[in-house]
Amino acid sequence: MGLSRRDFIKACAAAAAFAAAGASVARPEWAEAAEDGITWGKAPCRYCGVGCSVLVGVKGGRIVSTKGDPAGPVNKGLNCIKGYFLSKALYGKDRLTTPLIRKGNRMVEASWDEALDLIAAQYKKAIAEHGPDSVALYGSGQWTIQEGYVASKLMKGGIGTNNLEPNARLCMASAVVAFMNTFGSDEPMGCYDDLDLGDTYVLWGANMAEAHPVLFSRLIDNKLKHPKVKLIDIATRRTRTTKMADEFIAIKPHGDLAALNAIIHVILRDKLYDEAFVAKHVSFKRGKENAPYGLKDKEAFNETPADVKNLSFEEYKALMKPYTPQWAQKVSGIPAAKIEELARVYGDKSRKVNSLWTMGVNQHSRGVWVNNLIYNLHLLTGKICKPGENPLSLTGQPSACGTAREVGTFAHRLPADMVVMNEAHRKKAAGIWGVPAEKIPAKVGLHTVEMFRAIDRGELKCIWIQCTNPFQSLPNLNRVRKAAQSRKAFIVVSDIYPTRSTELADVVLPSASWVEKEGVFGNTERRTQQWFKMVNAPGKSKEDVWQLIEFAKRMGHGALFPYPEKGMHRAIFEEYRKFTLGTGKDLAPYGTYAKVRGLRWPVKANGTETRWRYTEADDEHVAKGEGIKFYKAPNNKVSVWFRPYEPPAEVPDRNYPFWFCTGRLLEHWHTGTMTGRVPELRRAVSQATVELHPEDAKRLGIRNRDQVRITSRRGSIVLTAEIGGRGTPERGSVFTTFFDEKKLVNEICIDAFDPLSKEPDFKKCAVKIQKA
Amino acid sequence: MPISGIVVSCRPEEASGVAEKLAGNQGIEVHGVLADGKIVAVIEADTIDAEVDLVKGLQQMEGVISVQLAYHNFEDAAPEGAHPAGF
Repeated sequence: MGLSRRDFIKACAAAAAFAAAGASVARPEWAEAAEDGITWGKAPCRYCGVGCSVLVGVKGGRIVSTKGDPAGPVNKGLNCIKGYFLSKALYGKDRLTTPLIRKGNRMVEASWDEALDLIAAQYKKAIAEHGPDSVALYGSGQWTIQEGYVASKLMKGGIGTNNLEPNARLCMASAVVAFMNTFGSDEPMGCYDDLDLGDTYVLWGANMAEAHPVLFSRLIDNKLKHPKVKLIDIATRRTRTTKMADEFIAIKPHGDLAALNAIIHVILRDKLYDEAFVAKHVSFKRGKENAPYGLKDKEAFNETPADVKNLSFEEYKALMKPYTPQWAQKVSGIPAAKIEELARVYGDKSRKVNSLWTMGVNQHSRGVWVNNLIYNLHLLTGKICKPGENPLSLTGQPSACGTAREVGTFAHRLPADMVVMNEAHRKKAAGIWGVPAEKIPAKVGLHTVEMFRAIDRGELKCIWIQCTNPFQSLPNLNRVRKAAQSRKAFIVVSDIYPTRSTELADVVLPSASWVEKEGVFGNTERRTQQWFKMVNAPGKSKEDVWQLIEFAKRMGHGALFPYPEKGMHRAIFEEYRKFTLGTGKDLAPYGTYAKVRGLRWPVKANGTETRWRYTEADDEHVAKGEGIKFYKAPNNKVSVWFRPYEPPAEVPDRNYPFWFCTGRLLEHWHTGTMTGRVPELRRAVSQATVELHPEDAKRLGIRNRDQVRITSRRGSIVLTAEIGGRGTPERGSVFTTFFDEKKLVNEICIDAFDPLSKEPDFKKCAVKIQKA
Repeated sequence: MPISGIVVSCRPEEASGVAEKLAGNQGIEVHGVLADGKIVAVIEADTIDAEVDLVKGLQQMEGVISVQLAYHNFEDAAPEGAHPAGF
């Protein structure tokens, strides 16, 4: 019939798009011909924490096509623009394909045996001379669950140190601490269905249109279908999200801490709270205050049970009295009348209100407190654990939840909400791992910022970095790069491309990525998603699990990993799953995940998922008649914390008069090792730019595309000015991205962190701006 | 040449106007406009680079809320520095 293969493929493309758009257009039979010889497999997307499902088409050992997975409940057949780069991210020219060992200033090709023997020798030497706390492993929210699990078992149950951290410390740690100290269990009660079912969405410093585009599309679909749906964008910068919002409310950096307290003040003053809900479910607490900012090495700050004071509701109300809207107007820049209005939005019984936030709240020197205050709004008004009505903490990496948080690859955590400080938890972990309980140290390991400072201090002798790029992504970057350059520690980096971290390594190991291996990721809404290996990794590349187990064997811990070569990923997962059963974080058998497009835990006895936690309507751990039960919290009561206003670590002054904020754009992802690699992506926004408010630019004589020097107390860089582009910061603030490996933006950033979560504040420091 | 199937979301009242403008671009075929403001289109270009440029252009267009990707075939795209298949 004269149709070419191109026509077939185009028909396939159109049919897939029609189906994803919800139109019932029959796929022409002859379109099948276009897909002849392509084998399709399912996988969660490699990029962000949304966890979209992708169908990956393989032909002749190569990925030749990708589709949004029509059976994927998260994205229903559609991917964001990053979908264009998914498979090509594996096929860049400079892919690492062989182990490399440093000889002076040169990196020399080596065999796996040479590389692994060298690593083991260095680790053994450090442990013999300085003890197990002189070595570390630094992983990633991009690790699969299996990779994180093996890493945790090796470090905590084998080597005997808690010096294990994920890069998720830099993005999600504040969310984790607040989930734990409010609900007694990590991760949300709600899920993405709330984006379809609610009618009011308050965004706290989140540019969802760019950072979580597929979720934002779901929200906008809801809005276009239902005129009542209202979207309120509270932010320090106008973005693509702002364009779709009903209202933009400008807020000063760090102003959230004041505004949230004032909204709560109004809710209490005007009795907009749900008295019955509060009486049944809430206990009021006051924690440790006058907290430091972590700027000094080894600055210790913890909130122990002895530091926590229980409050009556009346005492709590009295403490909240000074936080008036008039006071908050001065601190946050939000007019007092607008704060009153926001309180009435949260308190409106006819509205289903959702709060959404991500790095703006988490990367904050009082990030845990801001998370706590958002939960307070929902707990006081009872707008929680109901379909379409929940707070939702959004994540950035594909398995920040599944691996870093659920497996617990932090310096203080063990799987399934357990912690190393708790003896019963150590015993449970040791029992499953088959090691003596005393093997797992009770002492919390080094958190990320301290881990890299310890290299500079000469205390940490060996560090192995997998699947992440800390020598670009850490704050106060000059200090840690200089420490690495002066070879103060033995550094191993496993990755798929050369990065600003591999250039500082003593050993570079080539990894397999995404569908070059089998794995499981866990996304923002508690959805656990599995995939199988579909193509071979290039050259001598090996997956991180293999690398860790081969290292373990050389360290004398091989017996901890008795998994068969065939079925290894299943065996690791089944062992990990034992930690979750009966805890309210229950996972399904591995075979189930091979069949479905993910399941949201806790998975019920009958194998179905849980959309809303803590409610009898959906959560099997709550008995009929109990309504809502926060069964992971002490005495089943969640905590409403009094969290006062405390200032940021550094504020603009005469010498450094501007706020400096970093973030992400749609086409770029993290430090750009996978997106920056793809030539198309790099072209889209070819280098980091600095966004200025037009009036600030005019005053400084800076025009669009001029070169601008940005200087903080820690470093100085030159970037191209962008004025009137995709985003516009408020007056007195500038914004840039951190993906560009040629511009180490984080040399500017302060290494202040939240004292409870130890998560750095990448969103606020003081800089001066000059035309270069 | 890579080919992709995309869904362009618009405000319903602006969809037909946007669709007309889309159809005027070389490399973009509009296949349908749905009642809820979604436009189904096929993108065809010499390189993925050019494909993405087209999509980026769409995203900047007045009336366009978002552009999403349903299907991408790049089987005959020049493998950029790719390693041999099955290696």
